[in-house]
Order: sequence, then structure tokens, then C-alpha cells
Amino acid sequence: MTCPTAHWGPTTVDPSSTIEFPEGLPGFEACRRFVPLQHPGRAGLVFLQSLDQVDLCFLALPVAAVRPDYSLALSADDAAMLGFAEGFHPELGADVLALAILCLAEGQAATANLLAPVVIDIRSRRAVQAIRPDRRYGCREPLAVGEAVCL
Amino acid sequence: MLVIRRHPGETILIGGEIEIEVIECGRNRVKLGVRAPQHIPVMRGEVKATREQNLEAARSIAGDLPESLGGPSRGGAVVPLLGGEPA
Repeated sequence: MTCPTAHWGPTTVDPSSTIEFPEGLPGFEACRRFVPLQHPGRAGLVFLQSLDQVDLCFLALPVAAVRPDYSLALSADDAAMLGFAEGFHPELGADVLALAILCLAEGQAATANLLAPVVIDIRSRRAVQAIRPDRRYGCREPLAVGEAVCL
Repeated sequence: MLVIRRHPGETILIGGEIEIEVIECGRNRVKLGVRAPQHIPVMRGEVKATREQNLEAARSIAGDLPESLGGPSRGGAVVPLLGGEPA
């Protein structure tokens, strides 16, 4: 399928490369289908392109690229939304991908939302922006110096 | 801030239309039930923060993408992160 993108014009993607947020994302509840894209020149960075609203494209990094020791914490509701059985602890990279949405406010250091990463079930391609039940990370965590993003 | 002590099963009314019930009280967590008219959004505090953060994040890369982020002038098509294997 060919989908319009915010930055690169029409792009061809296989339908199985798309992900679905059954409830959208906070602030973008109507945007349910996205396709995570990578630019060969910016490996590591993920562009989360909406298929429902062409001009909506989030910039994200895998949580491990922001904090190598990041461990996932899913609430029972979010785990159920992804179809995980109670007590199942998905493994990062094997069962799920977790992406931290970046914010690049002009004139300020880029920050990553580690409180609420986008968690994608690799098998079903279902996704949820999963707000951690603990307070271990904030929604505006600074990116360490020398990180993948040279903005 | 108004501080009220409540037992499980007891409620608080706000403005006559909103009712908050303490359903269960654990060691670290309280389970609350909220009854409110449909036009009043009810969300957890963290959802509000994430909502604001998402709106700002989306705004922050709207418009022309800087070349350093693989803007059009860099050339090269984007490729899907997830492989094309059947879901």
C-alpha cells in the first residue's frame, strides 16, 4: 500500500508494517493506525507516521537508546489491551518494542517521554502508549549528551 | 486544597453532578469510582501530562524537517521499522 507521509511524500509500505492503537494516543484519540519508519541516514530514530492524519508524525527512539537499563512496566489495563495474559512479562525487543516519543522544543534540549512509551506487540502489531504505573521516569527526560540524536 | 477523610464505600460530591466513591483502600493505592456527566472528561493525572506532552511533541516536528533529521534534501526513502512478515 502507498501512504502519504508528513516529510517524504507518498511511501510504499506493506500493510503488515503498520501498527494499531485501539484507543489512539492521549491527545490524538482518533489517530489509531500508524507506520513506524526509519530513515537510512538516521538509523536508530523512528518516525511514527500517522495513517489517519498525514501531518502527524512523531519522532521517537527505542527506550534502550535513551536509557540502556530501561525496564518496562506495564499496567494491568495496558497489558490486557495488548492481549497479554495476566502475569506475562513481555521482553523488550523479543515480544515488544518500546519507543519513547521525543520533544524538540526550539532552543531547548530534546526530551524523551520515558513515563509513557509507545509499546508495540511485535506479533499482533497492536500498540498502546503505556503510562508506567510507577514514577521511575518522567515524561520529559533529557537525552544524554552524545546520544543518537544530533539536532 | 480541601482535605477530607473518607472510608471505603463513602462518597464525595462535586457540584452536584460529579460523584467520587472510595471503593477500596489498599496499603499504597486507593481504588476510586467516578460518576460524571458525559461532557466532563475524566482522566488520570498522568494521562493529562502525556496528552500535553504528545501535543507538544507533535508540534515540535511539524513543518519542514531539519536536514539533520533526514529532511527531504538528504534524499533516500524511509523504510518501515517492522518487517513485512505476516502479522
